[in-house]
Amino acid sequence: MRELSYAEAIREALRQEMQRDERVFIIGEDVGVYGGAFGVTLGLVEEFGEERVIDTPISELGVVGAMTGAALVGMRPVGEIMFMDFITLASEQLVNQAAKIHFMFGGKEKVPFVLRTPAGSGTGAAAQHSQSLENWFVHIPGLKVVMPSTPYDAKGLLIASIRDDNPVVFVEHKLLYKVRGPVPEEPYTIPLGTADVKREGRDLTVIATSIMVQRALQAATLLAEEGIEAEVIDPRTLKPLDKETIIRSVIKTGRVLIVHEACKTGGFGGELAAVIVESEAFDYLDAPVIRLAGRDIPIPYNRTLEYHTVPQVEDIVEAARRLAQGRV
Amino acid sequence: MATPVIMPKLEMAQETATVVEWLKREGEYVEKGEPLLVVETEKITVEIEAPASGILAGVRVGPGDVVPVTQIIAYILEPGEELPDEARTGVAPVSVPARPSVSPLPEIPPSPSVPPLRAPAATPVARRLAETYGIDLGTVVGTGPGGQITRSDVEAVRARSREPMVAPPSPEPEKVRATPAARRIAREQGVDLTTLRGTGPRGRIQAADVLQAIQMAPPAAAPEVIPLTGMRRTIAERMTASYQAVPHIMFTVSVDVGALEEMRARLNRMAEAEGGPHISLTALLVKAVAWTLRRHPWLNSTLRGEEIHLLPEINIGVAVALDTGLIVPVVHQADRKGLAEIAAAVNDRVRRAREGRLTPTDVAGGTFTISNLGPFGIEQFTAIINPPQVAILAVGAATRQPVADDTGGVRVRPIMKMTLSVDHRVVDGAQAALFLKDLKTALEFPYFLLC
Repeated sequence: MRELSYAEAIREALRQEMQRDERVFIIGEDVGVYGGAFGVTLGLVEEFGEERVIDTPISELGVVGAMTGAALVGMRPVGEIMFMDFITLASEQLVNQAAKIHFMFGGKEKVPFVLRTPAGSGTGAAAQHSQSLENWFVHIPGLKVVMPSTPYDAKGLLIASIRDDNPVVFVEHKLLYKVRGPVPEEPYTIPLGTADVKREGRDLTVIATSIMVQRALQAATLLAEEGIEAEVIDPRTLKPLDKETIIRSVIKTGRVLIVHEACKTGGFGGELAAVIVESEAFDYLDAPVIRLAGRDIPIPYNRTLEYHTVPQVEDIVEAARRLAQGRV
Repeated sequence: MATPVIMPKLEMAQETATVVEWLKREGEYVEKGEPLLVVETEKITVEIEAPASGILAGVRVGPGDVVPVTQIIAYILEPGEELPDEARTGVAPVSVPARPSVSPLPEIPPSPSVPPLRAPAATPVARRLAETYGIDLGTVVGTGPGGQITRSDVEAVRARSREPMVAPPSPEPEKVRATPAARRIAREQGVDLTTLRGTGPRGRIQAADVLQAIQMAPPAAAPEVIPLTGMRRTIAERMTASYQAVPHIMFTVSVDVGALEEMRARLNRMAEAEGGPHISLTALLVKAVAWTLRRHPWLNSTLRGEEIHLLPEINIGVAVALDTGLIVPVVHQADRKGLAEIAAAVNDRVRRAREGRLTPTDVAGGTFTISNLGPFGIEQFTAIINPPQVAILAVGAATRQPVADDTGGVRVRPIMKMTLSVDHRVVDGAQAALFLKDLKTALEFPYFLLC
């Protein structure tokens, strides 16, 4: 199968959905002529015109407000927030309006939009351009939260998100944009709420999201050389969450390492751990559920500090080794 | 019209407020909006304004009282106006006996000159704590403003009451540190976790520790489980029913089978020469038993309710051991058959029993059963009656034994022991003994069988 980068896979999903459905349009800051801050929407304004690829003033609240309104009258907007950090500015429209309208109008209205946004550190962009805020939105009923880790998943999940009738926060990762992988040319969907076993193993379950899936897979390769077989599970959508796949894996391995980039305190790992210990998998746990996550500090500008603020491959190897060897 | 003064709700979660002081006296004229009294919440102290102009009357709470919000605490009267009825009956500022309209309200003194007899004034948090700890507020000395009981007062009482319990707690059974998986496996396999040593951090028992313990323990021999079905179930049910319902009595007799064996040998030599059926000892037993039963019909009977039925036919069952159980084919009307015929029938039934080819007719209608374990080397045993029959004969092996003869000499003879079980409801001991005597005679002097 031909290979695409994560960014190209997202662009192809956007193009194919815009060709298929004229209600789909793109809106955001610098998404048109400039092609997006990370070049994801490059060339789309030439192909679809300024009517369907809309550059907006610098107002995230305005972008999501416009998306909410457009979605209410039947359009299917795909917005972009240049850095996930700026989603704070849009949270009134996103959290208090878009997420709730369907429910407050007794199901008579729907807000089908996708809000794409790159999260994560690793680019030297410092504290205000490097955050991973996905768990804020996991906490809001009415929003779905999607976090693809591969080009294949990015395309299938984005198309599924665009066709979903609910507001979806689609969290991309800056460091993943250049990662390449096989992507089918034809449009396809990956149902929201289905986790993926990225690698099978018997000794421990590593549940990772976004960039951490790639790092967990690299760690698993290194661990295999030591005879430790890690199963790597990517939930792919944090909400809705495919609990069954996770629980099944934990029952098999009895040991769980959760890896995400977002700060540990109040992060999604806590939710995953609770889901596991509340389930029938509890009786199969042979060690405490371990979280490996970002430190509880703003992302530093200094590259060395930044590197050590979030989990790296060697951190995952070490934590998984200790867990698999019964030393935790 | 009398305007009530209400304890206001000043905060979202406020339930009570404490009166600090009244700024106006009872009977004094107040202007609407003038500060009337000072109250204190957990957060603030605030002046409450008069809700109307007029005479302050019917004051029912005093400094230090904790009052639920929205309660009426006084009235503002227009000149010449009387207190409303509910105020009159509820409180009397001057001479009517005090009776609070709402239970949490402190009692009102019967006269302003008498010191108030109130429930102990306490801060809300002190009240809640006292309730939590089960402490009677009346036993707490307040150290707050105006003797108000504060949180620290309640905590002090609590601390004192717990002092005797500061003694070291009785040693608790040591808690086992084990992972959920280890606990589950231990539970499923019946392993006592307290006997294990954990290899995990801080001695935690992990699944591997339990699994190792199970492997080291001698393997529990799991019984092979065979469901009680078919023939096995039938035997189980019938034997249980028989042994529980039928009062068995048993009689053993020794038989010298020398003559019988000699006769059998001759007959079989003849059968070989002439192509007749091989005559087994069982066939001879069937013949002899049938012959004896003809003379003892009570042993060939059945008990039906209140009646004993002496059966017209003598049908002898022969117990045949199978791999899966036991079956009793029947030689019907054995008393009317010659020995060769009986021998042929026994041989045929036994062969077909072992081949599993008996028909229902072959096993139906038995009136007496013979069980011969002689071929297995058993010398003597007892058998359980096969209802609705009333007797069964358990036959052992013939063994060569020294026997004293009539002349005082000792001879070695083949002796076979037989044990008869009978249903004592039908057959008495003497009857059974007579039957065995005749049977013994027939076997020891087999030419009687010709009679």
